[in-house]
This record gives sequence, C-alpha cells and structure tokens, in this order.
Amino acid sequence: MREMNTDPKTAEAIRRRAEELFTEHQQAIFKRTDRMFAVLMGIQWVAGIVAALLISPKTWAGPNSQTHTHVWVAIFLGGIVSALPIALAVTRPGHASTRYVIATAQMLMSSILIHLTGGRIETHFHVFGSLAFLSFYRDLRVLIPATVIVAADHFLRGVFWPQSVYGVFAVSSWRWLEHAGWVLFEDTFLYIAIKRSASEMWDIAARTSEIESLNEGLESHVVERTNQLAATSQELEKEVAERSLTQEALRASEEQLRQAQKMEAVGKLAGGVAHDFNNLLTAIICNSDLTLRRLEHEDPLRRNVEGIKSAGERAASLTRQLLAFSRKQVLQPKVLNLNDVVVETNKMLRRLIGEDIDLLTVLEPSLGQVKADPGQIDQVLINLCVNARDAMPTGGKIIIETANIYIDEEYARRHLSVRPGWYVMLVVTDTGCGMDAQTQERMFEPFFTTKEVGKGTGLGLSTVYGIVKQSGGNVWVYSEMGRGTTFKIYLPRTDQVAEQLQVDNAHDESPMGTETVLLVEDEEMVRRMAHEILLMNGYQVLESSHGAEALDKCRQHEGPIHLMLTDVVMPQMSGRELAEHAAPLRPEMRVLYMSGYTDDAIVHHGVLDEGVAFIEKPFTPNTLAHKVRAALDAGVAASN
Amino acid sequence: MKFTKARILLLVVCVLWLSATGVGVGLLWDYENTPGTASAAPAQWPEASRLRRSADGATLVLLAHPHCPCTRASLGELSRLMAQAEGRVTAYVLFVKPRGFAVEWEKTDLWSSAEAIPGVRVVRDDEGVEAGRFRAATSGQVTLYDREGRLLFSGGITSARGHEGDNAGRAAIVSLLHTDEAGLDETPVFGCPLFAQSDECQTGKEVGHARDEH
Repeated sequence: MREMNTDPKTAEAIRRRAEELFTEHQQAIFKRTDRMFAVLMGIQWVAGIVAALLISPKTWAGPNSQTHTHVWVAIFLGGIVSALPIALAVTRPGHASTRYVIATAQMLMSSILIHLTGGRIETHFHVFGSLAFLSFYRDLRVLIPATVIVAADHFLRGVFWPQSVYGVFAVSSWRWLEHAGWVLFEDTFLYIAIKRSASEMWDIAARTSEIESLNEGLESHVVERTNQLAATSQELEKEVAERSLTQEALRASEEQLRQAQKMEAVGKLAGGVAHDFNNLLTAIICNSDLTLRRLEHEDPLRRNVEGIKSAGERAASLTRQLLAFSRKQVLQPKVLNLNDVVVETNKMLRRLIGEDIDLLTVLEPSLGQVKADPGQIDQVLINLCVNARDAMPTGGKIIIETANIYIDEEYARRHLSVRPGWYVMLVVTDTGCGMDAQTQERMFEPFFTTKEVGKGTGLGLSTVYGIVKQSGGNVWVYSEMGRGTTFKIYLPRTDQVAEQLQVDNAHDESPMGTETVLLVEDEEMVRRMAHEILLMNGYQVLESSHGAEALDKCRQHEGPIHLMLTDVVMPQMSGRELAEHAAPLRPEMRVLYMSGYTDDAIVHHGVLDEGVAFIEKPFTPNTLAHKVRAALDAGVAASN
Repeated sequence: MKFTKARILLLVVCVLWLSATGVGVGLLWDYENTPGTASAAPAQWPEASRLRRSADGATLVLLAHPHCPCTRASLGELSRLMAQAEGRVTAYVLFVKPRGFAVEWEKTDLWSSAEAIPGVRVVRDDEGVEAGRFRAATSGQVTLYDREGRLLFSGGITSARGHEGDNAGRAAIVSLLHTDEAGLDETPVFGCPLFAQSDECQTGKEVGHARDEH
C-alpha cells in the first residue's frame, strides 16, 4: 500500500479502510462465484444425465436390456454431489465452507463425467477447466481440496484398480504423483494469477481508501472553511450592526451635545440678563413696597404703585424661571421623599388643572430618598401639570407616578450625561394631544411655546429641564401625537433620611432689630433700598459700595458690627472674599449673602454651601427683614 | 472458532454428504472395474468356426453385443490396436444376435464403428453360435490365434468398463504381433453379457487366467 499520508493515525485509518474494502470486494467475488458454481452444478448435473442417456441408456444381457447404471449414477450420485454446494451457495454464499464444498463437489463431478463419457481424454479437460473456474474465487485455499480430490482419485484407483488409471496392472507406487503433478502444474499458474489478482484488488482497495480519505478530508475542509466563512460573515455583520448602532448612538450623542450646548448658551445669556434684571427688580419691588407702606389706603397713587410692584414681581418670577432654566439659581436642597412632595402639592395641582381633568397618583410605597430643593420640585410638578392641562383642553387624565429604578451601564452608555446607578423616578403622564418630533426637539428651549400668544411664556419646560439638571437628574420624554405625553424625571437616589417639609409661612410682620449691619453692595439702587429697609427695621447701617471700603469700615468702626449683608458678585472683590478678609477683623460678625444668581463664590454647581445665610434677589423689604433677623438670631443661637 | 448449532449442523451435513458421495463414487469405481464373466477360450482355433483363419499371420476375433454401450470402448481400442498392428493381423468383429430380434437389429452404431476400422471384417453371429465356439461370454471378449491356430491371447482390451485408454490387453496383443512376446495372455473383459445369464453386464466375478504381473 502506498503511504500517501504521513500522519500515523490517518495512515492506520486508511489501511483499516483498505482492509474493509478488500474484504468487501473479496466477499462480493466469493458470493458471485458461489452463485456461478451453483448454476454450473445444476448444468453439470443435467449434462451428466443427458450424457448417460445418450451414451449408455441401457445395459444388455443377451436379449434382455435394462436402464444402464450410468443413468442412475448420473441422476442420483450427480444429484447428491450437486445438491449440497447448490444449497450452500444459495443459503450461505461467501462462506469458506461453501467454497470448499463447491471445490470438492466440482472435482467429484469431473470424476463422474469422465466415467459417464467412457473415460474420454477430452472429458479429462473438465478437471483443468474446473481448477481454472475455481480460481475465480481468487482464494488459493480453494485449490487445495480440489487438488487433493484429484490426487486421491488417482492414488486410490492406482492402488485398487491400477489398469483403470494407468492401463497396466502393476505400476510404481509413486505413479499417481505424475497425474497430481500436472494438476499442481496448473495450480502453479493459478497461484500466480490469484496472487496477482489479490495484489491488484488490494491496490484498488488502498487507492479507493485513500481517495475516500482525501474526499473526506476535502469535505471536512470545505465544511470547516464554510463554517469559518460563515462565522467571519456573522462577525462582519455584527460589526457592521455594531458600527451602525455606534454611529446612531454617536449621532444621538452629538445631537444631545448640540442641544445641551445650545441650552447652555441660551442659559448663559438668560443668566447674564437675569443678574442685572434682579438688581433692577429689587429696586422696583422694594421701592414700590416702601412707597405702598407710606401711602394712605385711599391715596389715588396706591393703585399705580401696586401695579408697579405687581409688574416687578411678575418680572421677578420670569427672571427666576430664566435662572432656573440656566441653572444659575441657588438651590437649597434637602433630603426628601418625592411621594411627600406629590402629596403636598396634590391639592394645589387639582386646583390648577381644573375639574375636567382627572389627577391620578400611583406612588411607590418604598420609594427612595432624593436630595433636591423642595420648592424647585414643586415648580417642576406644577409646570408639568400645567403643560399637561394645556394639552387636554377637553379633559383627560394626568397620572403622577413614582418608582425606584436602576439605570445600568448599557443605558448610561447610550445616553449622554447619564450615570449608572439607582434613581428615583417621577413620571407625569397625560392623555393629551402629544407632541410631534419637531416640538419634542425644541420643547426645552426657553421661550419656545406652541401655545397661543399671551398664554405661555415658553419657560415652563425650560425651567423643568434646568431644575432637574441642576439637581443632578435627567428628564426624558415620550410622546405620541393624539395619544399623550410622558415625562420621566430621574433624580439620583440617596440613602440619607428625609427631612420634614416645612411650610414657609408668609411673614406679614417685619421683625425688628437694633444691631449694626454692614451693607456692602456695588449697585447703588439696591444698596440704597437695602439701607432704607434696614433703617426702617431699626438697625444701625454701615454702607459700602465695594469690598475694600467694607474692610475699612470693619477696621475703623469702633462699635460692634453684628452682621455683614453683602452682595456676592462684585467687581474686584467678591462677597465671599470679603467675608474671608473680614473674619479676622470681626470674628463675631455674621454674614448674609444676597445675590440674583449663583457663581462659585458661595455655591458649588448652584448648591448653597452648608451653613451659609443667603437671600435671593429680587427680594421684598419684608423678606430682607426676616432674613436679616434670622441670620442674627442664628448667630446668637450658635454663640449660646 | 465457536461451535454454534448452525456450525455443528453444517459439519454434520458435510460429513454425511462426503460419506454419501464417497460411497457413491466407491460403488461407481467398483462397478466400472468389475469385469464380466471369465471364460477360457479354446487353445486351438475352433475348426467348426465359419470364420477363415489367416494363414499368413495372426487372427483376432472380438465378440460383441451390438447394443452394449460398454463395447464402444472396446471397439475404440480395437481401432487403435489395428492401427498399431500395421497389417499383421486379420480381425473379425462378431455381433451376436439373439433369436427373435428384428432384421438388422444388430446394425447399431457399434456395427458402423466396427465396419469403419480398417482391416476389420464385421460378421453377424446369429444366436451366438460363433461366440459359443470361441467360448465368449462377455461383450468385448478378444481372442488372438497365430497362423497355426494356437491361442495367443484371450481377454478384454479396455482398462475398465466402457473405459477407453491404455490397457494391458491391447498392449499385450500389440506386443505379440510385433515381438511374439507378451507380458500376459489373459485380461479381464469389461462388457455386457452376450447371453441372458444375468440382469447386468457383469455376470461373474471370476477372472480367467489374468496374471497380476507386469
């Protein structure tokens, strides 16, 4: 066998397969030859009978005749000799025993035919023909019984009836070997032929096995390569899909960034305007308030001044919303439970939305805490509900839900500025007209409104957006035209314990005091107003227009200075810096900051530092009086 | 090898088959090699014979049954013998015709075969008269007399029943014709009984004076 494959395992497998194929081929030959001999046996049997009937049908004894013994021999002995090989060839083809019986029977049949034909020399060729035919088996062992039968025939007849074989009555005891020799002579050629044939069969089996192995290898290689290609294709498809998703996410992120930058820009603009506005509005509101205090109830100017004050307050409200949107307002966050906020505002909300709209609340009993400015959260709820109301002119439902939710890495990765973790979700859903994509894209922009002129400021959702973002949360909107809108607000969950919400009672009476207050304000209008209010409330006032002057006052004033009321954003020296410089000079002096918007002086990311007293511009005289009194009292309490 | 029931059965069947065929072949061999009734031919040419003995050389007489298939081999051997004799012998083939048979009953293929042998005269022997004179009992019986009428040989010229081929009888006659010497002067005769003495061709087991030697 040629060893084409150097792998020992494969070579062994090929050799085994070759053996299988060789055996299969051999078996096929055995079976086929068995069948051929079965047919031949039948033919020979019939031929023997025919020959007997033709050559020696009867035997005679004088005038008497009867069937010749040869006829009976042909029928019965021929039948017996043929029967078993035919039966075995039919029932047990391919078995070695079948071949040996056939070989034996074939040679016996030669003997019978020779006798039936009167020992004609021509019939002796049947012996050699039979040997040749037996070689069809390509099995050397088959020749053995055949040769033995022929040799035994000659040997035994040579012993008992030598004349019948050799034509003489006495022969050498080895004479039988001459006859057997000729048979062996033929056997030699048959041996060579069989060996060559078997060798060729083995070659064919080996080649077939190798071809099968190659085909198998080729097929498995093709399958393997196909699988690899399929895997690569899948990988590519996955990569393309991932790339597509990434591009989509990138586009969304870019859009979010663009939107955020736009909002930031608008916010900065609004914040800058609001700062100056607040100073102006402080002056307007306080002046009108003070004027109203001095006017008699029946004074015809009272209505005008009240109008001025009202307009100032509305303007202040707008400014607050602008600041809220631009995240420049000062938050005073507390740990709170959003369920409490919802419950607290429920009554007011029902009043706001009217009777045509059902307000449903679905609150999570085990809701987590958040840290936020409760007033601002009120504002968020109010703005969203008012928006929802305006989207349902013919009535509908507003559902307020709360829930705990975990934002995973995957979600956070796909949304800009969202961090993974636990959040508390506040959901406001309406069954209103919904928003189209264009509206959704612009809904948080300040002054963008779909309402009629005069019905909306365009600051409601902007405020919501600003408050939520400033509180470290996120807001997401899902809206379908004609079906409604859902706002989802996610605020970071905190483990701190919620504080009891305190209702901010209106301060009707301005508290009085006699302490000395150092007033520092660069804006003259505000400084004068504050000065006047403080004086009205009984305080001693030292006035400065900037930080350096205030420090001088601290050094030069001989009496105690109980409180420094200072603006935060001032040129040259901020209120915070002033407080730091003044502290060594007047360690007992309390500080009350006032500002229209935040910067990093006293707040960080819009959140007021712990323990810092603060009054937001624009304020009213009464508010200022309360804040001053509270700051002074806090100092007393602390010193006690 | 496991001896399962099937294998044992197969073995038994094969043994029985071999035995049966062995017995059958043995009987066949015995039949083929059993000679006919032995008879002692007259030592001198029977004077009563209608056949004319050759004065120049030997005279051969073969007694045959015209329907005996075994005799076909004897005629074949006679043909070879005549070829080998090279004219040194006058040969007669007498076909015994029993009484009561139709005309030309004796004219069989054997008659034709005998006629076809050069130098052989074919004669009908009604009721076996001549056969009786030569004391022949089995078809294929050959007697050979010299020019003086002395018996040289008596017996068959086949090696077995109906079996052509080299045989001691032919060899002895050829030798006598060429050298006046023969290894033996009697051989067994294989053929059908010329007369109704038994059912089979072989009617007796006694072999005349056949010598078991070279």
